Amino acid sequence: MTPVHFSFTAAFTLGLMGLAFHRTHLLSALICLEGMMLSLFIALSLWTLQLESTAFSTAPMLLLAFSACEASAGLALLVATARTHGTDRLQNLNLLQC
Amino acid sequence: MSPYVFTLLIFNLGLGTTMTFASSHWLLAWMGLEINTLAIIPLMTRQHHPRAVEATTKYFLTQATAAALILFASTSNAWLTGEWAINQMSHPLATSTIMLALALKLGLAPVHFWMPEVIQGLDLTTGLVLSTWQKLAPFALLLQVSSTVNPLILTLIGLLSTLIGGWGGLNQTQLRKILAYSSIAHLGWMVLIIQFSPPLATLSLLIYIIMTTSAFLTFKLTSSTTMNALATSWTKSPMMTSLATLILLSLAGLPPLTGFMPKWLILQELVKQDLPMLAFFAAMTALLSLYFYLRLCYTVALTSSPNTITMLTPWRLNPTQTSPLNPLTTMLTLALLPLTPAILALVIY
Repeated sequence: MTPVHFSFTAAFTLGLMGLAFHRTHLLSALICLEGMMLSLFIALSLWTLQLESTAFSTAPMLLLAFSACEASAGLALLVATARTHGTDRLQNLNLLQC
Repeated sequence: MSPYVFTLLIFNLGLGTTMTFASSHWLLAWMGLEINTLAIIPLMTRQHHPRAVEATTKYFLTQATAAALILFASTSNAWLTGEWAINQMSHPLATSTIMLALALKLGLAPVHFWMPEVIQGLDLTTGLVLSTWQKLAPFALLLQVSSTVNPLILTLIGLLSTLIGGWGGLNQTQLRKILAYSSIAHLGWMVLIIQFSPPLATLSLLIYIIMTTSAFLTFKLTSSTTMNALATSWTKSPMMTSLATLILLSLAGLPPLTGFMPKWLILQELVKQDLPMLAFFAAMTALLSLYFYLRLCYTVALTSSPNTITMLTPWRLNPTQTSPLNPLTTMLTLALLPLTPAILALVIY
């Protein structure tokens, strides 16, 4: 495991842990998701740079574009949740529980 | 929602799944999954209702996490082995992570908790899309990586899914939650067999899609979402209600109906692979599912609910929520079992 591999794995795992265990605000969940996507962006960019493969150089761009779309969808849902539930606390998302 | 936007979203829904089907590179497969998720989110929040918004938020969080996890595992695999192709994953850690992410996407047992809640928050049509079309893309990926995943993980996930799918449905009175648990159980059967015979798993998915389509469309015809509503649904459409009993028994997998075919073939294949205990436990967990389907049948067909005389009239009117797909899928749900040899010849050999 190279240092680069270790660092992006650690960054992704931290983001995933934050998403899984720190469930207070929807906004913090979205930020954790964004952190995971950024660690993947770094991984893909460094892959391109290390292998000097021109064919792969669009991959980080595509990833960034899709993660931006995903983040905007998440923010739209944040607004919708704030309008219907009155708050963005994940505790209040309990209408559908068994 | 404007029809143009609606058409665009439906088109993107198709595009995402097709892209995942057609790709052999993990990045493109991930892009297909993302397009799929982004396209269905506006469709799910079409009615701006608190329950729909909550279901969509939960769906978004799980699907985005699963997609990120898939891309992370494939990137790790590429850093470790230099391979981006989907069917040539070799590092055990990466394949296990991918299996977990796909289980999260499909709603399989250890990570199934979002599935009943999300389906419960949506209307029946969107729930139908969620439990049929949205399963196709992750299932295609699962089919390609299944040969490299640790068989023990697959067996455990499959058996746990059938068990929890049966167990969770026992305590429910909401039809959509029951259908979600039935989806978990059926997908568990597919994961159980996918390592021995991928074509058989595909056949089970196809049959499951047909059966659940007819179940959802029949419930939509009578606009019933709870067991109580189901008990009075015969006043709306007597014929479809009597067929609904048979559709439910077909979902349960009783012999003269289509639902028996995948269970029969899977059990036969498991015994052929010298795993009689696994086949025994899978068949036993199917009994749990059978119990709640039978309870639904009992409510539909064998009880006479207290009615006022005005409630008895709706059968004179034409139903408004008809679907042209419903007769076709219902016929296939009820009468496909005699064609098993032909289907086997087409799909498996």
